[in-house]
Amino acid sequence: MYSGPVIDCDVHHARSTDAELIPYLSRGWREYVTDRGRAGNVPLTVQDGFPNPHGFMRADTYPEGGGEPGSDYPTMRAQLLDPRDVRRAILTFGDDSHLAGHHNPYFASELARACNDWSIDRWLAQDPRLLSSIMVASQLPDLAAAEVRRHAANPRMVQVMLVDNPFNYGFGHPVFHPIYAAAEETGRPVAIHGGAGGWANPPSTGGGSVNTYFETHVLWPQAIQTHLVSFIAHGVFEKYPGLRLVLVEGGSAWIPSLLWRFDTEFKGLRREVPWLKRLPSEYFAEHVWVSSQPLEISPKRENIIDLIRSMQLEDKLVYSSDYPHWDADEIEYLSNRLPGEWHSRLFFENACRLYGWKADELDKPSAVAETVK
Amino acid sequence: MAGDHEIGVLRWQDRFFAVHNRCPHQKGPLCLGVVSGRLHGSVPGSMEVDDETPVIACPWHGWEFDLERGSALWEDGYAVKVVPVSIEDGRVLLEVGKGAKSQ
Repeated sequence: MYSGPVIDCDVHHARSTDAELIPYLSRGWREYVTDRGRAGNVPLTVQDGFPNPHGFMRADTYPEGGGEPGSDYPTMRAQLLDPRDVRRAILTFGDDSHLAGHHNPYFASELARACNDWSIDRWLAQDPRLLSSIMVASQLPDLAAAEVRRHAANPRMVQVMLVDNPFNYGFGHPVFHPIYAAAEETGRPVAIHGGAGGWANPPSTGGGSVNTYFETHVLWPQAIQTHLVSFIAHGVFEKYPGLRLVLVEGGSAWIPSLLWRFDTEFKGLRREVPWLKRLPSEYFAEHVWVSSQPLEISPKRENIIDLIRSMQLEDKLVYSSDYPHWDADEIEYLSNRLPGEWHSRLFFENACRLYGWKADELDKPSAVAETVK
Repeated sequence: MAGDHEIGVLRWQDRFFAVHNRCPHQKGPLCLGVVSGRLHGSVPGSMEVDDETPVIACPWHGWEFDLERGSALWEDGYAVKVVPVSIEDGRVLLEVGKGAKSQ
């Protein structure tokens, strides 16, 4: 099993109650959410989605002292950060990650601002290994870009995260470009996280909406595929040549077939997108990274290895646990499924390249422990 | 016909080109395709025409090739065989056998 340094690129930190986030809202928005008389508060999270009959969390991640999985730092530390040589863990929010699914764009923008401040205050302050995504309300891209720039000077706010899609076009559409301009300018990758199904305004499955969590989870890669194709076709990487994109929680086995098809279609349909100067797969190779979870379980171990190798994805895969969610991937499990010669890249080096970190500058656990004390 | 090869002579504005009538992709009748200036976009969303670089689009799958060099628009190394052309006394002459190899 791999025992070297680890960067975990998808760790869901959560809050147990709305009351935890309300102090981070502006006075006006605090008034808006709380002044409801007997009807109660306005809920801060998007009220939609499919139930998972087992629940969405690993049963053993509920903190002993109560609260939601992912909401308690000591529990996360004991279960995720300390048992392995975890050098960095990138926080990706819980239900708040779906704030772009809110119908009210002004409320969503304020929630994004509040979530980011909550993340800095309640989490980053506790452990230097923790880093946070910058949540943005893509409903209002100019405000989202301003939110990205607000964190420009904080190196621990490491990426811009998109999940739900407020509009009916893929994330490559020019309406979203102010966000990418800010991401490129501030040197932050854009992370598209899977899971907008059910919570998003448009269906995130091709051909129609689905009816069970089972279906939506099987089809999770579809929305990511749409966004990836949209990003490349609209020339986002021509317009923002310094931009990096990471696809989170969409799996990876589908990437070769999509890129093969993408390149072939480009040969016949280039006239529609003549601003593209290279094959789609070449943009992918330069600009796109992929998180490992959930690694598809192929009938034979070598099937998934062959697929990954066919597009040199072993240089683009970054480890993600998805803790504390029910479908998380363990380091030991991935170590056994993927070749040993990939491990240092998968668990550590690829993420260093993606986020622009020097491997020897990342703290060792002993240094972290000192800091935390 | 030149031996076993079909070669098409194509005119774009005042220039002449000759290419083998066989797309390297699936052997489609390339010379039945449309000739135009090469489309390009200096920035995403823009649509411009480069009349100095005529291209032919295969009538089967739409793959486009630079008429002068024969190369595909996405990869220099992938090409249709072209034949050098010269104009003498109002006649179009083909230098058969000297073109780049088709793939």
